[in-house]
Amino acid sequence: MTTISPSQTTRHRRGRLRRFSSALILAALFVASGSCSRYEPPPFRLNLEGLDRTEADSSGTLRYSDEKLQQIVDATTALFGTPDEPFVFEETELDIALLRRAAGPVSSDEHGNPRGLYREHCAHCHGVTGDGAGPTALFLNPYPRDFRPGVFKFTSTHQGGKPTDEDLRRTMVRGIPGTAMPSFALLPEEDLDALIEYVKYLSMRGESEQLIFPLVIDDEEELDEDILLEEVLEPVVGLWQSSTLPQFVVVPEEPRPSDRAASIAAGRELFQGERGCAKCHGPTGLGDGTERNYDMWNNKKLNLDREDVAARWSLPLQELRPRNLRHGVYRGGRRPLDIYRRIYAGVKGTPMPAAGPPYGQPARSDAMPEGSKNLSSAQIWNLVDYVLSLPNEEHPEIASAERPAESPKAGSPGGAGG
Amino acid sequence: MGKFWSLVFLSVPVLGVAVFVAAASWGYWFPQNVSAHGGQIDHLFMVILWLTGAVFLATEIVLAVSLWRFDGAKSPRARFSRGNMRIELGLAAVVGLLLVFITVYQLEDWAEAKIRQPDLPPTVEVNGRQFEWVMRYPGPNGELGDADDLFSPGDLHVPVDEDILVSLVSEDVLHSFYLPNLRIKQDAVPGMRIPVWFRATETGVFDLVCAELCGWGHYKMAGRLIVESRADYEAFLTRLEAEQNEDGFEEQQPTAANTSQRHPSVAEVVYRRAAR
Ligand SMILES: [Cu+2]
Repeated sequence: MTTISPSQTTRHRRGRLRRFSSALILAALFVASGSCSRYEPPPFRLNLEGLDRTEADSSGTLRYSDEKLQQIVDATTALFGTPDEPFVFEETELDIALLRRAAGPVSSDEHGNPRGLYREHCAHCHGVTGDGAGPTALFLNPYPRDFRPGVFKFTSTHQGGKPTDEDLRRTMVRGIPGTAMPSFALLPEEDLDALIEYVKYLSMRGESEQLIFPLVIDDEEELDEDILLEEVLEPVVGLWQSSTLPQFVVVPEEPRPSDRAASIAAGRELFQGERGCAKCHGPTGLGDGTERNYDMWNNKKLNLDREDVAARWSLPLQELRPRNLRHGVYRGGRRPLDIYRRIYAGVKGTPMPAAGPPYGQPARSDAMPEGSKNLSSAQIWNLVDYVLSLPNEEHPEIASAERPAESPKAGSPGGAGG
Repeated sequence: MGKFWSLVFLSVPVLGVAVFVAAASWGYWFPQNVSAHGGQIDHLFMVILWLTGAVFLATEIVLAVSLWRFDGAKSPRARFSRGNMRIELGLAAVVGLLLVFITVYQLEDWAEAKIRQPDLPPTVEVNGRQFEWVMRYPGPNGELGDADDLFSPGDLHVPVDEDILVSLVSEDVLHSFYLPNLRIKQDAVPGMRIPVWFRATETGVFDLVCAELCGWGHYKMAGRLIVESRADYEAFLTRLEAEQNEDGFEEQQPTAANTSQRHPSVAEVVYRRAAR
């Protein structure tokens, strides 16, 4: 054992102290230099998956030159700006003040108004581009909505219709039960308005990008502002505006039937028979029908090999499970009106078809009972009543374990928090 | 050196006490208590704070005095000691007695908060899920868990001055149902239905938060506790019921059909262009 004199230990300690403090200073410098490094504004991601013609050739490289792709980016930017600096033409009827509130990095302006609400609340799932491929998206089922095709599942409008502002607000305030979308009911009205506006902005931008693509690739047109406004913005904005007019909203032609039992029985007939609901939702409504399904966002990934999907999409193929109607969880809302609209106009972007007629066409009536495959308003109410009765229906073939255990009377003290 | 370190270590209890004194005098103390039972919880907190505070101060002062007196520079030779059995036993006995005291002292309050469940049907089911609280109230028939239940995310409404029995569940992972103003904190465990009860004594809007790190969105898993009069509470339930049963039928149908045609969708435009 060596002996160390007190003076030696002290010297030794001093040396360590000095090294420690110089390391501290270095660390401080490092942190300071990091915070001064320039902020890189994120770009909107070019949509390579939206169109079938972006296939890679045999060597695995994309068929389009960087120059062409840059043209697409430039044209889209000319119409909509960037994630940090949004811009819109008057024709979109989008409110730029609201968009600025939602866009850019999370911060606040000189009056204390928030900025970057979208990145604060939405981008981690829906992505900066609104492509539904944010960092958490891979872990979710269903994936977060990709706003770029401009298709929304839960709307009050007819077939092919866009969501109204009210629909988007409802989704944000109520959340989507059974999915990872939570309720944002505690956000102030103005923030909700800003986010609704921004979601529409991302959709219009994504749809415009899809229209710019063939113009650049196929038509090789010189894209000036007039062409962009006429060939791109006009059709995109036109559909948003025309399909959210009050007359485009599905309103039941008659009230919900008062004889609930008879309505449920009629609904069961339709469900099991003519309408073929059982094919997907299963004869018992457990969502275990024989059909395999994909929504429109995943449909394009079918028949591609995995590498191709990986090269063009951020997220692998995800199968769509038809809803288990006995859970009592209603993604698009549990009001009878919500279910009515889901059945009437279908769930947009999914194989769930519309049972009601398209906009402007008459529903089936007594005058022409077999004239169309559409259902009448009364028949749709029958289906609504049947579907709403399923969670509480006793069924001999279904073990009670498969039904949600919802007996709140049970429960004893225990599992007290630590 | 010994003196320097002695003062450094002495600064810990000094600053520690100063923080508590300053926080209390500047009003950074407990949130407003609106629970019939909350006073007892606060009292227990204070008792334990004084106990642990005293032990903390005593240990820190002994540490500082030892550093001051037994400076290595002055007395370089360490002396080996096997310790003093009597002192150690005495200390262990004091600590043990303190723990027994705390156990006995809080028994009544624990029973009140966690064991003596009030004999009434659940007022509301609270369901924690990533990342929101969803409330489920009994519908008009007063029974929870059947077809006429009413759902409402975010806001927990309860009537004032009444015993409330919450039936707490979790849909996915561990959460913790935390009502700071009611001094209520209870883990929500997937697969378990845990009863939680309280009686709010003042009307107002208070925080409901998650107190268990449950995922990336934990920080935003918040709701509101709305304590209101019986009349307001019933009006809320009536509103919720009307909303949830909405069938959207209007006597005056909007002038439908053919006033305007729908624009083609983007997919249709692309398709038509390709066909051209
Ligand atoms: Cu939580």
